[in-house]
Amino acid sequence: MSVDQFEHHLKFFSSSRTDCIARMMDIFLCLKQPSRMVDSKRMRMTSNFQWILLTFLLLYLMNQVSSQKKRTPHDLKCVTNNLQVWDCSWRAPSGAGRGAAYEVCIENGSHSCYRLEKNTKIPALSPGDHEVTINFGSSISKFTLNEKDVSFIPDTPEILNLSADFSTSTLHLKWNDKGSVFPRHSNVIWEIKILRKKNMEIVKIMTHNTTLNGKDTVHHWSWTSDMPLECATHYVGIRCHIDDPKFSGHKEWSNWSLLKNISWSSDSQTKVFPQDKVILVGSDITVCCVTQEKVVLALIGSTNCPLIHLDGENVAIKIHNISASESSGTNVVFSVEDNMFGTVIFAGYPPDIPQKLNCETYDLKEIVCTWNPGRPTSLVGPRNTSYTLFESFSGKCVRYKRAEVPTNESYQLFFQMLSNQEIYNFTLNARNPLGQSESTLLVNVTEKVHPHTPTSVKVKDINSTAVTLSWHLPGNFAKIKLLCQIEINKTNSVHELRNITMKGVENSSYLIAVDKLNPYTIYTFRIRCSTKPFWKWSKWSNEKQYLTTEAIPSKGPDTWREWSSDGKNLIIYWKPLSINEANGKILSYNVSCSSDEETQSLSEILDPQHKAEIQLDKNDYIISVVAKNSVGSSPPSKIASMEIPNDQFRPGVRYNFFLYGCRNQGYQLLRSIIGYVEELAPTVAPNFTVEDTSADSILVRWEDIPVEELRGFLRGYLFYFEKGERDTSKMRGLESGRSDIKVKNITDISQKTLRIVDLQGKTSYHLVLRAYTDGGMGPEKSMFVVTKENSVGLIIAILIPVAVAVIVGVVTSILCYRKREWIKETFYPDIPNPENCKALQFQKSVCEGSSALKTLEMNRCTPNNVEVLETRSMVPKTEDTEIISAVAERPEDSSDVEPENHVVVSYCPPVIEEEIANPGADEAGGASQVIYIDIQSMYQPQAKPEEEPENDPVGGAGYKPQMHLPVTSTVEDLAAEDDLDKTAGYRPQANVNTWNLVSPDSPRSTDSSSEIVSFGSPCSINSRQFLIPPKDEESPKSSGGGWSFTNFFQNKPND
Amino acid sequence: MSCQLAILCLLTLLLPPLSRGAPMSPAERITQAYNLALSMQENMSTLLQTYLQAQGSPFSDPGFSAPELQLSSLPPADISFKTWNALDDGERLSRVQGAFLALTQHLQLVGDDQRDLNPDNPILLAQLRDARLRAQGMLGNVAAIMTALGLPNPRAEDTLGLVPFGASAFERKCRGYIVIREYGHWTDRAVRDLALFKAKYPS
Repeated sequence: MSVDQFEHHLKFFSSSRTDCIARMMDIFLCLKQPSRMVDSKRMRMTSNFQWILLTFLLLYLMNQVSSQKKRTPHDLKCVTNNLQVWDCSWRAPSGAGRGAAYEVCIENGSHSCYRLEKNTKIPALSPGDHEVTINFGSSISKFTLNEKDVSFIPDTPEILNLSADFSTSTLHLKWNDKGSVFPRHSNVIWEIKILRKKNMEIVKIMTHNTTLNGKDTVHHWSWTSDMPLECATHYVGIRCHIDDPKFSGHKEWSNWSLLKNISWSSDSQTKVFPQDKVILVGSDITVCCVTQEKVVLALIGSTNCPLIHLDGENVAIKIHNISASESSGTNVVFSVEDNMFGTVIFAGYPPDIPQKLNCETYDLKEIVCTWNPGRPTSLVGPRNTSYTLFESFSGKCVRYKRAEVPTNESYQLFFQMLSNQEIYNFTLNARNPLGQSESTLLVNVTEKVHPHTPTSVKVKDINSTAVTLSWHLPGNFAKIKLLCQIEINKTNSVHELRNITMKGVENSSYLIAVDKLNPYTIYTFRIRCSTKPFWKWSKWSNEKQYLTTEAIPSKGPDTWREWSSDGKNLIIYWKPLSINEANGKILSYNVSCSSDEETQSLSEILDPQHKAEIQLDKNDYIISVVAKNSVGSSPPSKIASMEIPNDQFRPGVRYNFFLYGCRNQGYQLLRSIIGYVEELAPTVAPNFTVEDTSADSILVRWEDIPVEELRGFLRGYLFYFEKGERDTSKMRGLESGRSDIKVKNITDISQKTLRIVDLQGKTSYHLVLRAYTDGGMGPEKSMFVVTKENSVGLIIAILIPVAVAVIVGVVTSILCYRKREWIKETFYPDIPNPENCKALQFQKSVCEGSSALKTLEMNRCTPNNVEVLETRSMVPKTEDTEIISAVAERPEDSSDVEPENHVVVSYCPPVIEEEIANPGADEAGGASQVIYIDIQSMYQPQAKPEEEPENDPVGGAGYKPQMHLPVTSTVEDLAAEDDLDKTAGYRPQANVNTWNLVSPDSPRSTDSSSEIVSFGSPCSINSRQFLIPPKDEESPKSSGGGWSFTNFFQNKPND
Repeated sequence: MSCQLAILCLLTLLLPPLSRGAPMSPAERITQAYNLALSMQENMSTLLQTYLQAQGSPFSDPGFSAPELQLSSLPPADISFKTWNALDDGERLSRVQGAFLALTQHLQLVGDDQRDLNPDNPILLAQLRDARLRAQGMLGNVAAIMTALGLPNPRAEDTLGLVPFGASAFERKCRGYIVIREYGHWTDRAVRDLALFKAKYPS
């Protein structure tokens, strides 16, 4: 072996030695260095050997020291398990046999010595260092002992009992803490470990804290397994750690107790655990199959699951975050080769807080509480939520019985009311296998009354305008007030609601009177009720129809009368009473006529007949008609008549009639009427002036026509205007159909001005104004007006040419200035160029055209202008003057006259000049129509002597219609006629209303409905004669034809 | 629904066959029972489908079948042809009667089970009730045939005595499946048996 090899070995050796040896090695290595240098010299070899000897010497010395130590007791250690006694032990000296005796002395204030064998139990020493001397034969060992060096190791705990609740997979552990051995109170930490399967996999280690109280105490501890306990054997062990605050030594865990186990003793049948478990949605669950066959497949629903193998063939699966089950639950199936096993898991929710809990009563006998279950629990059948309604004041409760078919609609429970209790404090508790919830409600039931629907509604008569209404409302409302609503329906009428407050009764029967009804009317009643204070209306009761009894007719029928055609008999008509007035079925009428001398009564006239005929002299009579129904007679309706002879009245004159009633205090004006026997056309035209003219408009103002000259009610004005000058031939009649004549019909008779717009500037216009009544058109008044010039146009017309001329001038000047040289050359050359001289060209162009031969061309003399003098053909002036008067006298209907029938009017009036109507027209209007005809006939031959008068129908139609009605009243009168038709031809002559109610100035204002206002006898029938040919279309429409007397009282509309 | 009502009306006619005024001939009774069996056969697949659908997966999975599941309290309908062929009239009818007696009681049990598991499925509950009524009808018809043929009528016995009432939900689901399946098998067998009787006792 070479030196190097040796060194290597030593080096290897040194790495596992103590420090002492290491130091030796260092020395050795120092020595080895020179040996390398003088490798061949023997002297060096000798030196190396010495070093090895030294090493061995050192090793020997160390061993000697060590063996000296082993000859005395050493390594003193003390432990305690109860803090009262220390259990000390030490290593025996080498050579000391079993049973060797030691003397142990402890310096603990006093010197105490014990003679002991190897171990000794000494009482716990006070804190601080204590000298311990152990004598063993001749050798003495001294130790210093302190509490800090003592270890506290509690006794190993013992499990008293381990039991299992398989249904809940819970383990129950029981042990004793043996606290009596410990002097002081101290905290204990228990550590419990759970192991599973035969190979004891640790499932869980948990701690449990208790306190030692100086007594032996049995502790309980439970643990719920995530895996059913049937699936595998479960083992439990326990150890403890006592934390004594005053002990300063090492506190250590006790040893683990003996393990106890729980296993399920199965018969050999295959079983799946857990069965029918109800769990919360979203939780995890382990399902196992305890079997002796090999499980090939596990399914949750239709999902395959990985198997967790347990002991033997047992398997488990773990389901994470389970979703809500359908009603029959979630199936878990384990398939073995030729069979299937399974279980059902019901995953759902704990009950929601009952929502919208509401308690009310229908009858103050029973309280109905309703609520909504809230979120569905997904649990049905026996797992469904059960509800308990608890009332805290009375301590009573009711349970909700599970409905066969669960619904999410509201649930309800009935709670019997207790006498003398009004305020109820309800708690509704909802509970299912996963938990419970509740909601509370404090309610005063007298304020929460929702009455049932009123039933048995009955009606009885009191009189013709009042009935009693009775109904039944189940419940005992004696302590509260009811508020009921009665709906009263009358056919074709808006329904009426009446609120009634009444005191509640015990026997459920209610009765009230309903008044202010109409007699003999079908009513429909229905009722609903609530309570005070208001909570809810009941439903409406069924409708009850009832006919009120009859009463006497409230008034007599509207009556009027007429003389028979032979004038001997008076025919009395009356209008059947309306239902409201008849108050029943009218059976008959009594008619009587009384004059100063006698009273004549007719026999009873049965209902369908509404007319009677009496033979009477033409005196003043009072006729009365009474309607009778089964109850009695109406007040008589009386009409009085007086006849005024017709020959006292003239047409075209306004009459004021004043009718006075004779009363106790004297006479009283009942009514005044203004009217005409017959309306005629106005005799004068309205005076009108031009107020203002502008370039395109004219403002015209006119004055009223006096009443005497109006001869009827003014209906409006007609305003014509056309372009034309006084002296042109265009001045013709104002016939209709001429497009250049514009007509404005002013029906608002209060209007006194008119602005004509859109006219041309500086143009002459012919304006004509006339008034009309229902009697016809009045005469015309015409005027010529020239509109003003349009000044802006004129300015523009001047400015534009001037501006153009200036621009042309300026441009020309500039051009001329610029081209002045050229101009000068062209027009004013200084020296004529001989070459340009045409006179000298002829030699060159001999053979050119003959025209070139001309040296000078003379223009022919032509005249600049031809003036032709013409003479104008003018209409003879003599005709004009004649025609002026003709125009003034033209009839008002001249618009119908054909244009060619007229002579051209051509005269030159002043710019503004009034045409004064022919005074003859006044006379004609003021007199009779015969005169009017005469005027027309006189005019016609004058204008067109060769024409026959029949060619101008209007001109020939001198007779004016007397039955004209107002132009504006066509619709009204048509309606009136309709009404007349409805009333079967009766025309009331004495309308009581109009006698009393209508103001004298507006006789027609109340007549919008039906009857034509007229009274008096139809004696003016004689004057009705249609003497005129058919009216032209311009004439105001006639209506109310057959009665000429209506014209007599033609009334002013809008007066 | 109207179909079910019609069947119910038919059943009310069939249930008290003995109480009718004019006694029916054996052939008429056989025909009546045969027609009832045919109508039961028609409704069979609907009932099974409705039942399985209500039990959730895997029962409701298409093509679900678990022939391995058996119920000891129900007599099996399977029989070898040779044995079946060799049965005499009394034995043949009494086996059918025994089976339908057991089925009637089991269908009642299944109906109760489903009222807990599927209270919100009125269609299923109604079909189970109808099936039970039909089974009772068949029972009455077979008894009437036996009486008409002069065969001894064995006493009805309680076949359900051994049914465990504390069955788990899964067991109940399986039990219902077996009962309805066996109800179908026995209906098929009754049709064959009655067809045999029809041929044997022509009207």
